[in-house]
Amino acid sequence: MIDKATPIVIGRVVATELKPATPHQFYFWTATDTSIGIGAIVKVGAGSGEPGAERVVYGVVTEGFAYSDLATPLHDVVGAEGDPTRAEDAPTTRQQIRYWTAAVLRQTPEEPLQPVPLGQVYVADDTDVALALRMDGFLHSATPTAIPVGLYTSAGRDSPVYLDADFLLGPEAAHLNISGVSGLATKTSAVEFLLASIFAHFPAHKGRVAALCFNVKGPDLCFLDQPGDLSDEDRRRYERLRVPAEPFKRVQLYAPLKADGVNLNTLRTHPDLVDDVEPLTWGLQEVVDYAEVLLNRDDIDAKADAFIDFLRDRVLGRTFDDGFGTTHRVQTFGDLDRLFRSIFDGLEIASGGRSDTWRTHHIATMRKVRNRLLNISTRCKGLVTDDGPSSDLPWNGFEDRTVYVIDIANVDPLGQDLVFARVVSKLREQLERRELGVDAVVVFVDELNKYAPGDGPDTYVKKMLLDISERGRYLGLVLFGAEQFRSQVHRRVVGNAGTQLFGRMDMDELATPGYQVLTPATKSKLATMPIGELMVRHPHFTQPIFIRFPKPPVLRGRDGVERFPPAADVPFDEAVVRQLVRLDRRVRPNQVKDLIADREQDDVRRALAAARRTRPDDVFAYFRKVLGARVDSESSLARERHVVPPLNPISEEPY
Amino acid sequence: MNWWQALVAAGAVPANAGRSDEAEPGEHADLVEDSELQVHPIPEPPPRIPKTVSFLNGIERWSVVAYDGVVQVVNAYIAAAVRRRDAGGVLHTTCERSRAFAIAPLERMSAPLRQALEQSAPDVERVDGDLVEQPARYLEMVEATVRRTRAHLERELAEQSLANLGADEWLVLDGLLSRSPAVARHPRTLGAIKSHGAQFLEGRGLERALTLPAGHRTSVFAVRGGHTRTEVYSWYLRLWPWEGNDLLYGLVRVEARADAETVRRASELSAWLWAERAPLATPATRWDRLLYPLHHVEEYLKARAPRFPAVRSRLPAA
Repeated sequence: MIDKATPIVIGRVVATELKPATPHQFYFWTATDTSIGIGAIVKVGAGSGEPGAERVVYGVVTEGFAYSDLATPLHDVVGAEGDPTRAEDAPTTRQQIRYWTAAVLRQTPEEPLQPVPLGQVYVADDTDVALALRMDGFLHSATPTAIPVGLYTSAGRDSPVYLDADFLLGPEAAHLNISGVSGLATKTSAVEFLLASIFAHFPAHKGRVAALCFNVKGPDLCFLDQPGDLSDEDRRRYERLRVPAEPFKRVQLYAPLKADGVNLNTLRTHPDLVDDVEPLTWGLQEVVDYAEVLLNRDDIDAKADAFIDFLRDRVLGRTFDDGFGTTHRVQTFGDLDRLFRSIFDGLEIASGGRSDTWRTHHIATMRKVRNRLLNISTRCKGLVTDDGPSSDLPWNGFEDRTVYVIDIANVDPLGQDLVFARVVSKLREQLERRELGVDAVVVFVDELNKYAPGDGPDTYVKKMLLDISERGRYLGLVLFGAEQFRSQVHRRVVGNAGTQLFGRMDMDELATPGYQVLTPATKSKLATMPIGELMVRHPHFTQPIFIRFPKPPVLRGRDGVERFPPAADVPFDEAVVRQLVRLDRRVRPNQVKDLIADREQDDVRRALAAARRTRPDDVFAYFRKVLGARVDSESSLARERHVVPPLNPISEEPY
Repeated sequence: MNWWQALVAAGAVPANAGRSDEAEPGEHADLVEDSELQVHPIPEPPPRIPKTVSFLNGIERWSVVAYDGVVQVVNAYIAAAVRRRDAGGVLHTTCERSRAFAIAPLERMSAPLRQALEQSAPDVERVDGDLVEQPARYLEMVEATVRRTRAHLERELAEQSLANLGADEWLVLDGLLSRSPAVARHPRTLGAIKSHGAQFLEGRGLERALTLPAGHRTSVFAVRGGHTRTEVYSWYLRLWPWEGNDLLYGLVRVEARADAETVRRASELSAWLWAERAPLATPATRWDRLLYPLHHVEEYLKARAPRFPAVRSRLPAA
């Protein structure tokens, strides 16, 4: 794993009264032609045989200077007689210096802490890099917890850099935050590679691990199970890091349905791949548990909360008498709407419009909650079903080394919040109960600028992200967050991330106070960072370290949609057939089409959802049984009246 | 308008000079080019600069470090180096010598201190004790001693480096070429002299030399200088305009082998030295006459010279 190379002298520490060596910083010079640069790790002391050489200091280059013995720029002008083209004609090259500032990473012995000795400077080899970054503690322990994050490639080296799983995935510290400008694919690629690395190196003694990724942009994470193109150099890096250069073996992709209730709302609809996509649909019960997500800041008050609690505790899933002579059993949005109508009608009829409270709840509060709840079934039709059962993640059966992707890229923002809130809350619940099936889950959330902004209202999602950031590590709930502008994300969310990665940064962003600890040279490197390179901060590293990681072994989203173009939406009957055939290859398409012809689509959807959830041996028989007998047209018309009326999502009605 | 401004307006050349080089005994010069000392413009660029050139320079340091009564005991350090310029214009050291020694009139010192000096100082240069009671003249003698030993060291180093000189390689010295017959007779050596205390010309020739325009040289003349009295050919070359400064500003006297070839190539060699004006040898005080590579050798030697650990008074220096 570690190569031991012959030390190469590349410079010498110098100190003056004005620029002395200190225990945390030193200066050294090198030849003009040197392999080191900003971010290079160097070693001072050992191997020189000089007095004080028993003290070894490791440092990282943070700033570089070059200058000559030119007294003033004017002298160069005079020497060239004002003609820049003649400046190169000078037969002698001026004496120059390459002068570097290095920040101390580690000293051995660590006590007493002393200024850096004025010795020779060497390029750090693999062993030195491990020692400098304090990786020896978790790399060579009885229970190693090292997770490769990339290669340190400065100064012509190629040394693996590891993160400590105890500090990346808990319990000591946890969470990872990655910042960088958009469009370079660095953030997503880095997380994909790191997940592959975690799956390959997560220590056995720490149990089972899974990842859950929210796909919030296009097809970014839709093809994690498909191999991407890797260069020989990438493959060599994978080999060096001992991470398999292959796509994720176990990927479960979930996507809500479109408004038609049968076509999947994802870009992974190519016929060769669509069978691997599980529908994600939720019913009333799932939504009401997270009704707070649907309420904006103006909506949040004790009355609404009380009424929602009342519905949750006393109404949903129970036989309930509305007090006006009607008994309800509310299980779907349709049932809920019927209850509301019955209450409103009852108040109107029983009191002649004079009473505006029902069981201590004001009618305005009830109207507001009704609108918010029923709105979601319209705005997120496909994710939220008016009626019928849900299709959900396997909350009791997460599998080891499996990536669960939830594609909400095309879902209404409110629906995204709902998905986000419910999924993370469920993960937390299940991890608390130790019933999730894995011991740790990495939750990858892109666009933290949007979900946990530093300013703006305290939304349910933001509060939840804060909660994960501050308490998730004890549960094994680990947040991998990504954003373009770190300065605009809530400070406690980024501050609690034990590991921080930085890709290419915008200069405006680098001018914000959060980056003041970096030298101008480091900022300049960050602003020009190539694809595949990152700056890493980790609890064991006392200074930021630059690393290079290989291209992820998976198909990138944009390549995926080119190789597997999304299929056009299919007609309702064809979509039903495909879903049933997927469950049971024996299903004959014509039989299904005949069966569902002239049937209510809601009934078909309900039967289909039941088949999906139950997964019977004989799918067609079960589907036919659930669908029931053909309903005559009169009954059908009668039923039309009970369907939840569409609500205008941009209604001006205040409630 | 000041009076001197009026004078300049009337045709005088503006000047800004305060001191000049120390006067030295006059030397005899015989013109070997032209019948009368003439001014020659140096050829237009590009100059023919030898691919490989070595530069020799030396330094000296001395200070009184102890008193035995009024006897001043001096610590001295001299060093010289030859640095070769490669094709990339970078200088690399090829020869280097130094000497650290004490200077004292041993016969005038008290027995215990003399014994202590002889036991602790590995290298002692004896000087005459006649001037001990005249401290200023004594120090002049010390300075002359140091200069002489430095010149000796440079001569030895120059002769040593001649043996290592490549087929087309030149050696440029800071100072007189004529100190060593071997060096003075070598076909590819040049001496660049910055001090003009010794006067070789007179009358109209002298005036032409001292008012030489920048980018011009004088006719070549033969001089017999230095302790060896080896004849060399020499000429003046103006590197920077003197107008507005002083007569010696930018003026270099070049020495080369006493040979007809030197006369033939004087303009070509002048063009080479003209090209050596850049980079400027600043911040050296006489940068106008100092070639940068020679300045570089000097800086190199200074950087390597040991610091004098003098015992200092707590009172401000006078």
